[in-house]
Amino acid sequence: MSEIGNLSVALAALVSAYGLVAALLGAGLRRADLQHSARNATYALFLLLTVASAVLLWQLVTRDFGNAYVASYTSRDLGFWYTVSAWWAGQAGSLLFWAWLLAGFGTLVVWRQGAYRELMPYVIATVMGTSSFFTLLLALVSSPFARLPFPPPDGQGLNPLLQNPGMFFHPPTQYLGYVGFTIPFAFAIAAMATRRLDDEWIRATRRWTLASWFFLSLGILFGMQWAYVELGWGGYWAWDPVENASLMPWLTGTAFLHSVMIQEKRDMLKVWNLVLIILTFALAIFGTFLTRSGVLSSVHSFALSSLGPLFFAFIALVLIVSFTLLAARLPWLRSAGDLDSLLSREASFLFNNLILVGAAFSVFLGTIFPLVSEAVRGVKISVGAPFFNQVNVPIGLALLLVMGLCPLLAWRKASAANLRRNFLLPGALGLLAAILLLLRGVSQPVALAAFALSVFVTATIVLDFHRGAMVRRAHGEPYPLALGRLVLRNRRRYGGYIVHLGVILLFAGMAGGAFRTEREAVLRQGQTVAINQYTLRYEGLSQYPTPGALVTAATLTVFNGNEPVGVLNPQRNIHRGHEEQPMTEVAIRSTLLEDLYVILAGIGEDGSASFRVIVNPLMMWMWIGGALLSLGTVVAFWPERREALRARARYLVGAEA
Amino acid sequence: MRPAALSLLVWLGGVAVLVLLQPAHAHAAGETVQAVVNQLATQFMCQCGCGLTLASCTHPVCGPRDRMLAEIRRLVEAGKTPAEITDVLVAQYGEAVLAAPPRRGLNLVAWWGPYAALLAGAVVILLLGASWTRRPAPQAAPPSSLTPEERRLLDEELRKFDV
Repeated sequence: MSEIGNLSVALAALVSAYGLVAALLGAGLRRADLQHSARNATYALFLLLTVASAVLLWQLVTRDFGNAYVASYTSRDLGFWYTVSAWWAGQAGSLLFWAWLLAGFGTLVVWRQGAYRELMPYVIATVMGTSSFFTLLLALVSSPFARLPFPPPDGQGLNPLLQNPGMFFHPPTQYLGYVGFTIPFAFAIAAMATRRLDDEWIRATRRWTLASWFFLSLGILFGMQWAYVELGWGGYWAWDPVENASLMPWLTGTAFLHSVMIQEKRDMLKVWNLVLIILTFALAIFGTFLTRSGVLSSVHSFALSSLGPLFFAFIALVLIVSFTLLAARLPWLRSAGDLDSLLSREASFLFNNLILVGAAFSVFLGTIFPLVSEAVRGVKISVGAPFFNQVNVPIGLALLLVMGLCPLLAWRKASAANLRRNFLLPGALGLLAAILLLLRGVSQPVALAAFALSVFVTATIVLDFHRGAMVRRAHGEPYPLALGRLVLRNRRRYGGYIVHLGVILLFAGMAGGAFRTEREAVLRQGQTVAINQYTLRYEGLSQYPTPGALVTAATLTVFNGNEPVGVLNPQRNIHRGHEEQPMTEVAIRSTLLEDLYVILAGIGEDGSASFRVIVNPLMMWMWIGGALLSLGTVVAFWPERREALRARARYLVGAEA
Repeated sequence: MRPAALSLLVWLGGVAVLVLLQPAHAHAAGETVQAVVNQLATQFMCQCGCGLTLASCTHPVCGPRDRMLAEIRRLVEAGKTPAEITDVLVAQYGEAVLAAPPRRGLNLVAWWGPYAALLAGAVVILLLGASWTRRPAPQAAPPSSLTPEERRLLDEELRKFDV
């Protein structure tokens, strides 16, 4: 079986290289046959990588421990779904997963978007170029099909940290996001190569951008959720280099998502949009690189490797080629539109972009700064959570403010009446919220600002929904129907607002972190620990084996005031094959107001147990915000019938011309 | 309505300022040693290689973390201030024990670089924006005076000459 896998990967590398050359020659020589052949190469690539992936999955499921990868990441007692997740748990497998997704996306583009005949050869060339890199890594450096001379009787098993449902969703969504940005990037390269630099490439990739952004957002959210329930330190974001690596393309991708609207509407920011998508793609590769290279120490570097220099070279190549092409095309990239006023939606989008890219830059600088310091001063330093929190909080608050201002400023030039109409009431509400919170004893300035701004932005959005619905109601529709139709008829706009509401809830959840309380206690049976209004009584320990682990669970009765509200069972598990690394399984009691989060930190020989108990306010709102963000993206993504008809009309008119 | 709304805003702003000026350290005296240790745990890196702070080290069993936390607790109980504790830990483990680099020398680039970049970006936007708003109606640049279709045909013709 491994031979089939190896052969498929080797052929995939050859096909990628062939596809790259054929597409470029086909475009350069205007040879339709070569272009056609490049198209077919995309299908062949997908087929080959599907075969390779199927072989790997087969070997994983059938426990072919002769395969080094299978022996490293599975064991006989691993459940079916975690066995499947081993596909992306290790380095070689995850590279195969990356390449397979890319080939799948390439196939989808060739199949569905073949109408972009001029752009397509360069799109294929970019996809194939990227695929060449990944398939070469698979074929020459990090093969998922390497054989062991003597197959062990059982594998080493999946890292217990990865045995969590979150890990079934987090890496695939993260990778879908990373890989997805290849497609808008490929179209951008094609637009530059063909000098078709109007908004054609942006329209062609709007959905790809949105989908990639959606998956990247989901990937980050699933990652946060996994960290929260599995890593067991009471938080969800530690500013770990790999977390930062996922945030950076998300930030630049978000900027891109917004600034393309300016190009579509006003034919401006052409160069900027190209820069943003190049950066986003490079950062997506950088993210994969950080996860898999181990160049910066991280909780995610589950495998150290020699991939670092190769990834670095590839990123350098991407940047050099892209920016050289961009420089050569500058004369064709003059904007047709002009700015009418600095107080307009266009201008506010510039500031939105500035803040998003500034945030990405600050995260980048902080992430690589330990390397800079060591190179320049020869002194090792650390750049951890306190740094990122301090530097990024003001930037985050500015972003929140701009999120409130941007969507409601008028295009071209905002009048005083426009400002008053849209912002007076929300501004007053935000201020009122700040005062009420202060009176309730909330004196933390950052949290106060975040909550007040959240109220302000929410009010601007609700006000806009309300006005739109009232207009429809004036035409005889009942209010709820008017509200529903309003969203459905303007999916892009109102979907975007729903995403914003989701982001506000995320911010509110983060601001809630300022009021986190924590207690540590060593308890004997029957003793209690109190935190805020809760009292937890330790009832005792129980121990039992499961197929893969020995579980030690503590039982705690939770009282809210004097009233018992539930039982929590934090655990400490020793997984077979990972005896030196006991795992904590936290117990969480979630309400809309706060999470009670209990960690079983240690067990004494006398039957006592030590606990860390944390109250995390507003955590649930983060997850609700994430769900709302997803819902909004789906609304914005959903095709609009009229838009489809208009697009067809444009196509027909174009065909006649 | 408008003057009323304005006066409401002014009043609300006044109340906000008054409340903001209230001292906010009323409960500081009641802080326990544990709370100080927990706070300090977020300021120092765990030395086990996890790359995270003592507060967020993900290892359920971690010797280096427990040793450091015990040391910090001992220092807090001995009445050392956070600044003194920082000095002790830096002397022992080196500068890398600090979760945020001290604000001096080269580190200032990391601390202020993002804001400098944002400021520079804002200045660029304002200058560019000002020049864009002042600019007369755009003169069509030579390449863009053609429709995309014409441009494509032209490219095609030119390419024939290239070969």
